[in-house]
Amino acid sequence: MKPLIASAVFGVIMMFAALSVKEKKTFTLLATLLLVLLTGVNIYELMHIMNGEIPEALFNGMLKYGSFSIWFNTLMTGIALLYVLLCGKHIEKVGQHTGEYYGLIFFILCGANLLSGYNNLLILFLGIEIISIPQYILAGSDKRNLKSSEASLKYFLMGAFSTGILLMGIALLYGAMHTFDVSQFNFMEHNVDAMSLGGIFFIMVALGFKVSAAPMHFWTPDVYDGAPTPFTAIMATIVKAAIFVAFLRLFSETFGGISQHWTLVLSIVTALTLFVGNITAVFQQSVKRMLAYSSIAQAGFMLFAVLAVNATGFKGIIIYAVAYSVATIGMFAVLMKLKDYTYDGFNGLGRKHPLLAFTATIFLLSLAGIPLTGGFFAKYFVLTAVMEQGTGMMWLVIFALLMAAISAYYYFKVLMAMYFKKGEPELAIEVTTGDRFFLGLAAAAIIVIGVAPDILLAWLKN
Amino acid sequence: MSLHEILFYFLSLMALVCALGVILSRNPVKSVLFLIATFFAISGHYVLMNAQFLAVVNIIVYAGAIMVLFLFVIMLMNLNADAEPQKSRLVQFAAVLSGGALFLVMIAALKTAGIHAEESKIDSSGEIGLIHNLGQVLFKEYVLPFEVSSVLFLSAMIGAMVIGKKEEARTEA
Amino acid sequence: MLLLSIDWIFIIEKVVLILVIILSSFGVAAYATWGERKVAAIMQDRIGPARAGIFGLLQPLADGGKLFFKEEIVPDRSTRTLFILGPALFMVTALMTSAVIPWGPDFTMTIGGTERSVSLQVADINIGILYIFGVVSLGVYGIMLGGWSSNNKFSLLSAIRAASQSISYELAMGLSLIAVLMVTQTLSLREIVGQQHGFWSDGYFTWNFFKQPLAFLIFLVCSFAELNRAPFDMPECESELNMGYHQEYSSMKLGLYLFAEYINMFISSAVLSTVFFGGYNFPWMDQVQAAVPGGLFSIICVTVLMIKVVGFILFFMFIRWTLPRFRYDQLLNLGWKGLIPLALINLVITGGVILFFFNK
Repeated sequence: MKPLIASAVFGVIMMFAALSVKEKKTFTLLATLLLVLLTGVNIYELMHIMNGEIPEALFNGMLKYGSFSIWFNTLMTGIALLYVLLCGKHIEKVGQHTGEYYGLIFFILCGANLLSGYNNLLILFLGIEIISIPQYILAGSDKRNLKSSEASLKYFLMGAFSTGILLMGIALLYGAMHTFDVSQFNFMEHNVDAMSLGGIFFIMVALGFKVSAAPMHFWTPDVYDGAPTPFTAIMATIVKAAIFVAFLRLFSETFGGISQHWTLVLSIVTALTLFVGNITAVFQQSVKRMLAYSSIAQAGFMLFAVLAVNATGFKGIIIYAVAYSVATIGMFAVLMKLKDYTYDGFNGLGRKHPLLAFTATIFLLSLAGIPLTGGFFAKYFVLTAVMEQGTGMMWLVIFALLMAAISAYYYFKVLMAMYFKKGEPELAIEVTTGDRFFLGLAAAAIIVIGVAPDILLAWLKN
Repeated sequence: MSLHEILFYFLSLMALVCALGVILSRNPVKSVLFLIATFFAISGHYVLMNAQFLAVVNIIVYAGAIMVLFLFVIMLMNLNADAEPQKSRLVQFAAVLSGGALFLVMIAALKTAGIHAEESKIDSSGEIGLIHNLGQVLFKEYVLPFEVSSVLFLSAMIGAMVIGKKEEARTEA
Repeated sequence: MLLLSIDWIFIIEKVVLILVIILSSFGVAAYATWGERKVAAIMQDRIGPARAGIFGLLQPLADGGKLFFKEEIVPDRSTRTLFILGPALFMVTALMTSAVIPWGPDFTMTIGGTERSVSLQVADINIGILYIFGVVSLGVYGIMLGGWSSNNKFSLLSAIRAASQSISYELAMGLSLIAVLMVTQTLSLREIVGQQHGFWSDGYFTWNFFKQPLAFLIFLVCSFAELNRAPFDMPECESELNMGYHQEYSSMKLGLYLFAEYINMFISSAVLSTVFFGGYNFPWMDQVQAAVPGGLFSIICVTVLMIKVVGFILFFMFIRWTLPRFRYDQLLNLGWKGLIPLALINLVITGGVILFFFNK
């Protein structure tokens, strides 16, 4: 509860700071301070849970924070902190309203908090909207760029449409269950009928849209490509992870009892997502667009955690969210340093800027899921989670492994360009000691997760 | 047939006809007007259920404010019937197919609704729609969603400001 | 007399009341046009209309007759149905507001052997004020449709001005009223008037004007904007937009627009008197009620309300002929940056005072 209030209040503080502060650097500094504070509040809340305080439903069962929710929040706030440290300079360059952009990022965190702790479909809806609306704005914040405006408008129209579908699903579920409170949902033989199943599938489509699962992914490449790069970085990571947590909690906890009714559809969606994301990524010329398709492919892997309907799935999503988010934010941070976003722009980076190239290598290896990086254990956990449920999903796991092999191709293309091709990569912005330090930190974090993933799970109770 | 039922069927017919008018009329301004008429029919249903507050708020917010802005935008863009883009046969076919499938799902879903209709009957003697009861429910049971939606509106407002405000010439460049 | 389980006498009673109110609205509006010209004349040291009848009293009839006999022109390039719908809608919304205003106290009457209590209010709905808001917010459609369907750029500009102006000022108007509602604790106009009984009770004035002066001021300013009257008559300012949204209209369609504006002014004055100035209440009304028969007392009450209404109408006119017109951006700035914050502050102060001093 306290982190929720804090994130909303910090957003308002950023907004008011925009009134009085002129220097753009001050905003980044203030946002960093507030994020440190927010992480502190989250840890404080986490300590309470670890000390054996039993989480109770707040506000007539609207919210319920277990150790999973709070730990996930803490991680997301930490990643947001890393994001601001890595991308702050670039956010300042986007437009005139730096303070407002940071305010919106705090509101996104507020929405993520709601999504991790919701216990009521109303809050789920509000959380998704609070996450979505700032994204529409951030996508269009580079107003002089037509592609940015197109991305914003496209995302807004499609997002509004999917919101409508989500509401329809919630309405149907309400009709079947007579309540919004998910802990009171009680699926019996007689009420698993067209109405409740219709509701479940509507919600699946809407959430699938938000996490860009195929065939609801058509917006993703254009939006991720068109939006200013620093904001693409947050859209592809924290937002996606938060919506996945909502997806997982809803489908594993609430609809888990009737999983036989929806796993087939979701596994087809997963297979499609993996296929479309990986195959299309192979043909991209721009690294930014490749990362957009790769984020679709990664969403396919995260869907395994939802398909698993067990505790390993929850562990898997935590590791996956962190490994994927850190690697993606790091990769975008490297990308933003360069002038040319095509593969050719990376030519010769290994010789000219060894540290940038080295950290980028680690991020890409992690995204591809090579052992000793966080990405390996992330994939390992979500796939074993599905295997635990029996051999019925074997075909999907094998398919996923095949796709992971394909994904290595396009990630390695960047490595090839960096180390084996000659060129003079042009930097768009000077790389400072601070940048080097934080990029190194992110890379180190990925290695640490790759060696000892258990440190991320130590904070989870049952 | 009581007066209540006559009104119910009349309003339902009006809502359906106007809703069809929204999607069938070629002129976007007429579509908006049909939509307003639909809102009126729905408000009429609210009144039948003794939810006068909801009825009037529906009119004020949707018909009075949101649709005015709709009309505003349509008038400024000066959309005409012939400005409508041509769609290919394949897209039309796919749309009909998926729309039909959705329709089937909805019919199947609502077919079972009859079973529950008894328990959740709302008639003209219901008091949940009165402003006093709504206030109690909104500020007691649903106070968190109510407050949280303020964050939503705040971010939307910031968005309007960020997108709408004129960008000064960039200082660096 | 029960058919379809409807009380037919009740229906007849209401129909008569509605007819009386609508006809008197027309009457008041007609003579308001005369009044406006006379006021303007006096303020500019002229005589004003003087030819038709004594003091030109037949002038409104002459004007109306003239409008009826003018040629009706529907522009070639207009959207015909909407062009006709526009003025009709504007008139209908203008007339609808009067339904919830209590024109006088109830009185008893013997009809068909039974004694009935007759209410001088068409509909006592428990959300009367919101109803007025709903209807007022619809009023702008008449202008927008008329302006757009004329296919004239001045009309379109005027329609757009009208829309943005009315939406902007509705907000401040609503916020100012919320403070009043916090005091009255009800949305029913009948109860609001009932609470303002007499003039003085429990050591304080009963009228809401004295309890919420700031809210009254904001409401009044917003009324000017909602009525499109000077100094906020942006949608029809001659010097910029020729005649604004009704430029292409002629004959009685133009008449409807012009007439509906005066009806709006009449109703708006009635709302102002009802919400802030005690409606039909007047000082020492209890003593008067004891002294005269019930029917006469009701007539006195209605007269008192009418006097207040006429006072407001005259006030609207004085302002029009005194103040110059605002510029459009000034108008919107005043609405968004002036009145809305002011109304919010008023709201907070009212809430604080109620919480600390009247919290039982």
